[in-house]
Amino acid sequence: MEKKSFHLFHSNVDAIAKWSSLRDEDFAPATETEKESMVEEHKSVSYWKDAWRRFRSNRVSMISLFVFLVILLFSFVGPYFIAYSYDEQYREAAKLFPFEKTDVEKAAQALLDAGADGVLATSMLSGSQTYIKKGDYYIVGKNGQTYAFRFAKSKEKSVLVLESDQEPALWIVDQKALISGSYEKTPVEMMDTPAEGASELKMMTSFFPHVFGTDSAGRDLLARCMYGARVSLIIGIVAALIVLVIGSIYGAISGLAGGAVDFVMMRIVELIYSVPDVLIVLLLQVVLKEPLQKWFDGAQSGIVKSMSDLGVGVVSIFITFALLYWVGMARIVRGQVLMLKQQEYVTAARALGVSGRRIVKRHLIPNCVGQLVITTCLQIPSAIFLESFLSFLGMGVSAPMASLGSLCSDALDVLQNYPYRMLCPAIILTVLVLSLNLVGDGIRDALDPRLKK
Amino acid sequence: MVFYTLKRIAAAFLTLVLIATITFFLMNAIPGSPFMTDKSTPEQIARANAKYGLDQPLAVQWWRYMTNYLRGDMGVSLKMQEGTDVTTILFHQGKFQLSIRVGLWALLVAVLLGIPLGCIAAYNRGRAIDSILRVLTTFGVAVPSFVFATLLLMIFAVELKWLPVLSNSLESPAAYVMPVLSLALYPSCYIAKLTRTSMLDAINQDYIRTARAKGLKTGKIIFKHALRNSLIPVITYLGPLSASIVTGGFVVETTFSIPGLGKYFISSILNRDYPVIMGTTVVLAALIVIMNLVVDIAYKIVDPRITLTSKED
Repeated sequence: MEKKSFHLFHSNVDAIAKWSSLRDEDFAPATETEKESMVEEHKSVSYWKDAWRRFRSNRVSMISLFVFLVILLFSFVGPYFIAYSYDEQYREAAKLFPFEKTDVEKAAQALLDAGADGVLATSMLSGSQTYIKKGDYYIVGKNGQTYAFRFAKSKEKSVLVLESDQEPALWIVDQKALISGSYEKTPVEMMDTPAEGASELKMMTSFFPHVFGTDSAGRDLLARCMYGARVSLIIGIVAALIVLVIGSIYGAISGLAGGAVDFVMMRIVELIYSVPDVLIVLLLQVVLKEPLQKWFDGAQSGIVKSMSDLGVGVVSIFITFALLYWVGMARIVRGQVLMLKQQEYVTAARALGVSGRRIVKRHLIPNCVGQLVITTCLQIPSAIFLESFLSFLGMGVSAPMASLGSLCSDALDVLQNYPYRMLCPAIILTVLVLSLNLVGDGIRDALDPRLKK
Repeated sequence: MVFYTLKRIAAAFLTLVLIATITFFLMNAIPGSPFMTDKSTPEQIARANAKYGLDQPLAVQWWRYMTNYLRGDMGVSLKMQEGTDVTTILFHQGKFQLSIRVGLWALLVAVLLGIPLGCIAAYNRGRAIDSILRVLTTFGVAVPSFVFATLLLMIFAVELKWLPVLSNSLESPAAYVMPVLSLALYPSCYIAKLTRTSMLDAINQDYIRTARAKGLKTGKIIFKHALRNSLIPVITYLGPLSASIVTGGFVVETTFSIPGLGKYFISSILNRDYPVIMGTTVVLAALIVIMNLVVDIAYKIVDPRITLTSKED
């Protein structure tokens, strides 16, 4: 309320300055609508709204936030829009350059250009399936008609061509012959109606490009980059949360308890702080691998099972963070608690007989939150950084899983011939870390303008 | 001052003992025996274990390591160069020297590049050159060193063919360029940022205004008044910097296949060559710890405003 009257006073300064020109009406009491309009101008702004307003006015942070959201979409939604998955190997499609087509795809594309309705090259199917199993199938042609057929034997390395323009026909062509151009069309015998339980064979009418090319095992690099970015992001966020939980609890206890407890706890922090982390981290990665694997293999359900899906490499990175990287957070939280503890309002609350728990809840936590958010946000890119470093040295995530670091590591050996395999994940990684850093800086400036450099 | 120094040295020694202990127990926690191969029989493994004293209780082994280290004896390699003294492997085969040389060059480049860039940015605050430098340093801090290293490789070795692809034993000066640059990227950008910030702080101080008012030349103000005072944060950073150079060393030595300590450390872990793991860890950790110690003491000498007895947080 004080704010409003303060404002009222000021907004009339101009009018008061020109007091000689005031008329009698100017001294009439304000009407209800006038009062209302005054109130509206001064809606109380919450801490977060205020921070968001400051964040929004920072162009660099907003652009970085946008870039970060794009990468988030790329890694979490992107996989639904591409035809390949991160772990499927297509032997025919190994070592392709970006947008390059395999020989079969090229030949099949020529057939499509020549008027074929659709093709099905057995080596291009997902799951590195190189044959059509025997059984009943049906397909639906361009004219809407259903063609049913049966393979008595499994067909390997062949291409099915559907031409339904002039005369409904399904041809089977040997893949090698198709590439060389001199092939024989073997007609596939048609049936009237599909048999019970026949499965539909999807004929391709176009080929999804390998946008980033493929790796040596014939895995699509775009799919792997999406997956790798996802793994990197998950590692970054989870690791930051682990650090947040352990560090803030430890720091808060140390700061609140004070005295001898604080002294001992801080000496422990100092000791961990002085240990060169990377040496220990590298050792930990090797030490944790086998016991974790055993633990995961034994698990049937629950949290352990869901952790085992993440893979040993990822979980051991989490453990590393839980063991070594919380000390920075603990120091910051302790510093905050120590500072806040001595504030007058806390003393006042104490004098009024407020319980310790309530002081923590009402005074310490709300005042710490900004600092916690800032530190956690800046922890994410550094976790991603560490993970990529470990994976690059061959100690983090292992195949068929991928992270941006392990993709770069895989590409190192073939750098001379296939530079794009390094470039794609490296650029994504750099942009991701950069945008997260800038968003973190923006959040820091928005939440705590005093820290602004 | 003497008391403080002694206290810091004791703390540094304690840290080293702690690191050696952690390493000892961690490496013994790596599953399997270093002598386990596809062909080896249990008797062979037992014999090999007995030969190197690996059959004794862990506490006994640990005590032996500690006492031997105090005497400067780092034991012999179990696998990678069987029977060779670890001291010989680390110090007399050029590994340590290679890593140190690259690291020191990187340190030099980082300092000589970072500080002037920071000064330039601070002095031209708000102008185009400041913005350009800010973008560059922000990028430099965000780009992982291996990305930058491979980028250099791709451009200068593969495409332009100006520099050798493999640096190997760093025979020619040209072989140093890429490893040193990729190692120095992060620290030089970080130092530039630090210098800019503290320089801006210093420039706004009253004594700078006084210096300006009495008509001193800009160069003199910057170098004599502002820079000296703004270098303190940079000196504090030299401790973490040495750690980041050791870390970066792993990546750079892998990328450019330099047979240095970092590369050897990784293969010793994978080979479970216990004495080599211990030796490399202790040597690398000692480098970092000593650097931190020197910085801590130098810091107090450089900045007399800091009282020696107060406990910093």
